[in-house]
This record gives sequence, structure tokens and C-alpha cells, in this order.
Amino acid sequence: MKNLRFHYHMEISFSEPVHSHIYTLKCLPVTTGTQLIQECNYAVRPTDRIQESYDSFGNRMLYGTAEEEHTLFQVDVTGRAVTGICDADAPGEKTDISVYKYQTVLTKPQGRIGKLLADCRKQEGSMQLSLDEKARFYMQTVHERLEYGKGITTIHTTAEEALALGRGVCQDYAHVMLSLCREDRIPARYVVGMLMGEGESHAWVEIYDGMTWRGYDPTNDLVVNDSYIKISHGRDYSDCSINRGVFTGQAKQCQSILAEVSEE
Amino acid sequence: MKDFELTRQSETVNELLARYGVKFGIYKNHEFKEQLFPFDTIPRVIEKEEFAYLEKGLKQRVMALNCFIRDIYGEKKIIKDKVVPEEFVYISSGYLAACDGVVPPKGIYTHIAGIDLVQGKNKEWYVLEDNLRVPSGASYPMIAREICRRSSPDTFESNCIEDNRYYTKLLRWMMDYVNTGGHTVILTPGRYNAAYFEHSYFAEKTGAHLATGSELTVENDYLYFVDYSGKKEKVGAVYRRISDEYLDPMTFNEESVIGIPNIYDVYRKGHVALINAPGNGVADDKGIYYFVPKMISYYLGEDAILQNAPTYLPFYEEDRKYVLEHFDELVLKDVAEAGGYGVVFANKMTAQEKEDFLNLLKKEPRRFIAQEVIDFMDIDILEDGVRKPRKADLRAFVLMADEPMVWKSGLTRFSRNPDSFIVNSSQGGGFKDTWVLSR
Amino acid sequence: MGIISVENSDRLFWLGRYSERVYTSARLFADSFDKMIDMDLENYAVFCAQLDIPNIYCSKEDFCKRYIHDDKDPNSIYSNLMRVYDNAIVLRNEIGSEPIAYIQLCVYDMKRNRTASAPIVGLQKIVDNILAFWGIVDDMIENENIRNIIKTGKRIERLDLYGRLQADRESINREIHRLAGRITKTNLHYDKAKLDKLRELAEQDPINYDEIVALTDTLRKD
Repeated sequence: MKNLRFHYHMEISFSEPVHSHIYTLKCLPVTTGTQLIQECNYAVRPTDRIQESYDSFGNRMLYGTAEEEHTLFQVDVTGRAVTGICDADAPGEKTDISVYKYQTVLTKPQGRIGKLLADCRKQEGSMQLSLDEKARFYMQTVHERLEYGKGITTIHTTAEEALALGRGVCQDYAHVMLSLCREDRIPARYVVGMLMGEGESHAWVEIYDGMTWRGYDPTNDLVVNDSYIKISHGRDYSDCSINRGVFTGQAKQCQSILAEVSEE
Repeated sequence: MKDFELTRQSETVNELLARYGVKFGIYKNHEFKEQLFPFDTIPRVIEKEEFAYLEKGLKQRVMALNCFIRDIYGEKKIIKDKVVPEEFVYISSGYLAACDGVVPPKGIYTHIAGIDLVQGKNKEWYVLEDNLRVPSGASYPMIAREICRRSSPDTFESNCIEDNRYYTKLLRWMMDYVNTGGHTVILTPGRYNAAYFEHSYFAEKTGAHLATGSELTVENDYLYFVDYSGKKEKVGAVYRRISDEYLDPMTFNEESVIGIPNIYDVYRKGHVALINAPGNGVADDKGIYYFVPKMISYYLGEDAILQNAPTYLPFYEEDRKYVLEHFDELVLKDVAEAGGYGVVFANKMTAQEKEDFLNLLKKEPRRFIAQEVIDFMDIDILEDGVRKPRKADLRAFVLMADEPMVWKSGLTRFSRNPDSFIVNSSQGGGFKDTWVLSR
Repeated sequence: MGIISVENSDRLFWLGRYSERVYTSARLFADSFDKMIDMDLENYAVFCAQLDIPNIYCSKEDFCKRYIHDDKDPNSIYSNLMRVYDNAIVLRNEIGSEPIAYIQLCVYDMKRNRTASAPIVGLQKIVDNILAFWGIVDDMIENENIRNIIKTGKRIERLDLYGRLQADRESINREIHRLAGRITKTNLHYDKAKLDKLRELAEQDPINYDEIVALTDTLRKD
């Protein structure tokens, strides 16, 4: 169990002034079975209106409009969290598990993932792995098969493509692992969050073991522990995108994220 | 059927239809064209008792479909009770996770249902398809009736025909019923949409306001229409003629420029009614169609009054066996396609096509349904003054307010090609009025 | 529901302008064509110069054909009629199916007229239908604001055309007066100083037509 402070900062700079900027943000951590959010403050600049809501996965959303011209859009979220309360998250009664069983556009396997799963099964042989052991095994496999590298993949890269490239970022690691798990009929979901010492936002995977959701981080080959703060989850990246926006103006946008997590 | 005076007025009628711009848009070689929708003056006539039977069956069907959608985005009992396998729900492109847990105003999802039926040579009616997203077409028989009455008043004097021009009154009543407080808007993607005529015609006839996405805006959890002096008026109901995918770039397709950013969040909070509800695609999927009779008994405890065309799901071992054994007698439909596309008749395939298809079927059994070819009852059309038999279907419209209401008419579409079963306007078909007799 | 969006108020305005352009240019064409029958084969050059459109035509026949029907020529009557249609078709809610039908009929007549040997006779039908359209707009549209915006467009276009054609002082004065009476009844944004200036210009001797045209075109503010 840790007492953590977090500061999440996202900014978008525009090459030319834009206006009538409508946005939706999913960057507020919520209390779960494993973490207690004791304090959470946010500031969005500029903005004329701001509303709060929850999406169908239970993620907390902010949405609103910045009417006036601006070239910089900034979001700051700060707060305190107690993590590692429990090592798994028991879902509420209303949570739909089945939705996480099926592949999505981003995780849909083709030849390569099918082959990877076959390889895994061969290695498993007659070993009777528990679900947790299996998840660790897939996590380790994905960690070994991919090499960390920025700028090679994009937000549209599928699991299959990332595996073919052999390189990617946390999002790609998570998608490949999701694809493997789902192909093996294990319900699995995509998670966005923050990690101590990481500096940026992070992504990992949770699998459902029949009772609870457990986190696995294939990028770091680590079982999720009290150094992680979870922000949102969904079927894949697109359900959790931190920021969506439309605006008026011909401008190039450049997004940067800073996520600081430290012990109190 | 005796010749009506009306059939002698074909030219006048079509001239008047042209005058009022009764058209649909079509893209040919990437170019937008407006085409007149060919109208045939020989009506489809449905006897009073026969329509009463259809009406009962349609109400029952739509009630069950509405229950199904509510269940899928709510408790999911039908899945838990293993009546519908969950993969058919979650893999369906019409299933939208964003709708889970969202209850629309008054619990209505299927505000406007377009149910496609055909009549077999044995006089039996079969449901071919349910359209629960944005079914179109009611405007055509409505305006055709208006013009036919003008062109041949004697015909309508001497036959007891239910007047069908009250459709837009039903529509208005339904829209008002679900309205959460505010104006009513018909949301169109714009004049380059195939059914733009209908959008603007309904707006005129219902007195709702026709708007494009850019004319509406979300402010503080409510939807507003902005007029040119900058005044904002609250909107309580949106009859949207754009698909779910394009409705809100913040929740669905991010690239959409015809939607309204954050309208879905307003809807989620119950501050606006969307007609029809987003997510309905899960129920009119060609795969789910198979389960509609089961839904009727599951939710309503009744036997289905209207039958489906005999359908097989290769997903089930037993059905797959049947499909392989009787392949040449069946019509195969790709569940992901619409508008008459992705429909193939096995007996028209070459040997190579057959082999390719069977391989595909084994690989992706969930993707197809197989149906017996129904021996349609032909309907006559006039071609150069001569009566000729053609295939035709009937799209019946059911509107849902406090209870389902069946429009006493419908869109009868026919294939102009004598060998074709495909009646869609986008593939060159024409339409007829549908007369429901009042005596 | 009586609310008009920015887009639609703009469309109503241009519906008025283009319908006037089709109407007046069809009539002017008829005059010019008449002159060309007997003698002045090159009269179309004068016509182009007056309307300030580029003379891209190579003969009287070419002019008659293309000025009326050419869909590639942005100044043809056909192109202007299509602009009327494009605006009208999206205004069913504001103006109604019956008025739109007259514009639809114009389009059919125009297409049918393509092969006719007496283009003026064909154009007459178009003029008739535009007049019927204006008549029904007056008769059927209850919303005064909608009528006034269409008419403002029409008045602005007419003053613009009269300015280009260097119409006599009396005509110019009358059109300015009609425009002033109309635009003030709408909620359209316009430049009041320019309207006053127009009145002044019409009194000057000689009349500065170029300035009248320039002021007319910029009178309405977006």
C-alpha cells in the first residue's frame, strides 16, 4: 500500500489560432477496488463551459467548449491516491464482462497472433497453468517479442501490425496481449493510467479471472502493483482516448503529456 | 384486378411527381445525381382483414424488438438465459458499447421501424428484414397518394381506401411523445444524402425544423438550435437521419463532420430524445433476425404471428450441415452488408465461386445466414402500357409511442428487371402505393 | 418553428438574388437576341461588357447556346438557375413544397429547351415560372421575415444589374427606394451608412455607376 501524489498535465499546442474548440477528456482517476482517490482537482484552460459525466465503461469524463481563439490548450489534474489496497479489483454487479471477451478492430488477430498463440500453447504443453500464470506467461511473451520504440507505430496500429513490426509503445504491447488473451477466451481489457517513475501516461492490461480484474503490464513485464494509478479502461485504446476534440481553424496540433507520480 | 382509371393516368402522375421533385440521390462514378424514383400506378392492395392480421403481427414484432434492445443495453437477460448466444450480440457491428446502461426517454428505442415483408405464392407473408436504424421511404407513398388522388379522383371515390396521408401526423405525435422539452428537429446530413427529399418533406409536413449538424450546438448538457440573430432555442427531440457512427464525433467516429459534438452526452443525461435510439443496429442485424421469433416468445410469452423466411445459421453445427447439403436451393446473405448488397443465390454461382464461398463460410460461419428462396407472389407493373409481373416487397412502418402504431399503407418496391429479386431503389427499382382497404 | 439559422438566412438571400439574376438576364438576353436577328451580329459583346461578364464566345450561335445552357460557364443562365435550385432545395422547410415546385419546373424547362431552335420561346417558360415563384412566395409564405429576406436579395441583385447596365436615374432611384424599404424590415445585418451613401449617389450628376455597384454588393454584412 502506498500513499501517492499525482500530477497529470496534458497540453495541445496549435500552429495557428483555433476557436470553437469542443473537447472530451478521460483523464480523471476513479476509486476502484485497488485504489482510493482521496483528492482529485482539475483545471482546463481555456474553457467557457465544462461538464462532467461517466461513459458506459464507468470512466469519468469531462467535456466542454473553448469558444475564444487560442493556440494552447492545457489540462491539469492533481490529487492524492492510496494504491495497493487490494491486489485485484472486484467488479460491481452492473459491469458487463462479456464485452471484453471479443476482439475489436485494433486487436483482431490474423496469422501472426494466431501463430504466437500456437507457439505459447506448445510451450505450455501439458502444464496446467492457472489463469494468473497464463497471464504472466502471455505478458512475458509479449514483452520478449516486442522491442520498445517510439514513433514507429501510431494510434491506429493494430496488434497484428505491431507484432509484425516487432516494435512499439505501451499501447501496442497492451493490444498484442489483449489479442492473445481474447483469442484464448480470457476476458481482457485495456487500461490507461500513470506509473511512478514513468513521466508519461501508461497503458496496460487487466484480465478477468472469474471473480476479479488483475493488472499486467507487458511493457515492463510487471504485475501491476501499488506504483500504478489507473485512470480508465475499455476494450482497446479507442475506448480510452484521453482527449478527443474538434475545432475551427487550420492548424497542426502537437500533444504532450506529463504524468508525475510520487510517494508522499 | 380490374383496371383503374388511375392506371390510365400514369403519365400525369409521374409528371406531377417530377414537379414536386420526388427523387432520391445516387452516386455514380463519384458524382452525385438526383434520380426520379419511378412510380407505378398499379397499387398493391391489401384487404382489410389481411391488414388487420399484419398489423397485429407487426406490433408484436416491434414490441419484442424494443424489449430486446432495452435488455441488451440493460440486464442482458436473454443472453444469460441462453436464448441468444452472446457472440451474436457483441460481434455485431450494430452493437455499441457506448449505449450500455443508457436508457432513452420513455424507454423507447424503436421509434420508427421499417419491416420488410414479402408475400409468397401461397399467400403467406414472411418478414425478410427489420430496419430499426434509419428506415426510409414512407414519404414516397404519401406524396404519391396525394398526387394520385388529384389525377384520378374517381378511383378513390369508388374504392374504400384508407387515406395514408396521416403518416406525418403519427410521426409528429410520436416525436412529441418522447420530446424531453424543447423544439423538434429533423437532423439531415444534407442535400447530398440519398433520402434528402424525404428529410425535407417530413420537416415541412410535421412542422419540425430541418437542420444540419452545424446548426445545433451543445451547451451545459442541453442541445440548442442557434438562429441567425444568435438566439438559442432548446431542442428536446432529434429525428436524426444520420447513422449512429456519424452522430457524435466525440463518442463515435472521430472523423465525422456531419454530427454534433457531445450530443451523445446530452442524450445520456436524458436531456434530449434521439429518434431512433443509437445502438438499435444490434437488433436488425441479419444474424439476430433469426432470433426474433424466439424473442417474441421470450419477452411476450406469445407465438410469433408473422413468420421469418426459413433461415439457417451456419454458426450452429446442425444448420451448417443443412446449408452444405441444400446449398443450391438457398440464398446467402452477408450479415454486414445492407441495401441489397452481399446477397447471393447459390444456384447462380459458378463452380469456382461456389468453392470460394464454401471456404469462406467454413472460416467465418458467423458472417452469413442462409435462407430458403421464397417463391414471391408477383405483382403487375405497367411497362409501355402493358402489364408485366415483377417481384415486389412491402416495407411496413411501425411507429412507437405509448404503444406501437402501424401505418395503414407502406412502401411497395419492385424490381424492374424481370429476373431480379432485388428491389432496392439504389439498384434501380421503382415503387408503388400500398392501399389498405377500409371495407 | 419560425427560427432561421445563419445558413438558411444566407440561402434565402441568395435565392432572391439568383432568381432575380435568372429573370433579368433572360429578359435582357431576349432583347439582345432580337437585335442580333437583323443586323448587329456582334451585339453579344456589348451585352457581355454591360453585364461585366467575360466575352468567351466565338460567334452569335455560340453565344446563344452557351450563354443559355452551358453548365461549365459560370455566367450562363443555366448556371445561375442551378444556384437558384441549390438554394431552394434546402429551404423546403422555410418556403414549402409548392413554391419549390416552380423552381423545379424551371430546371426541367431549361433542360428540355436545350435542343429548341427558338431559345427565347423556351426562356419565356422560365421567366413565367420565376414570376409564379415570386407570386406564390408572396401568397403562401406566412413568415414575413422569410419573404423580406428573399426580396432583399432580389432588390440588391436588381440594383446591381441596373448599375451595371447604367440604367436611367429614375430607375436607379426607384430601386434604391425599394431596397431601402425592404432591407430595414429584415434582421439582416447591413451597413446603414452605405445605404445613405447610395441615396446620395443617385442624386449626383453624372451618376457614378461603378460606385453604386460596389456599394450595393457590400451593403449586406455577413
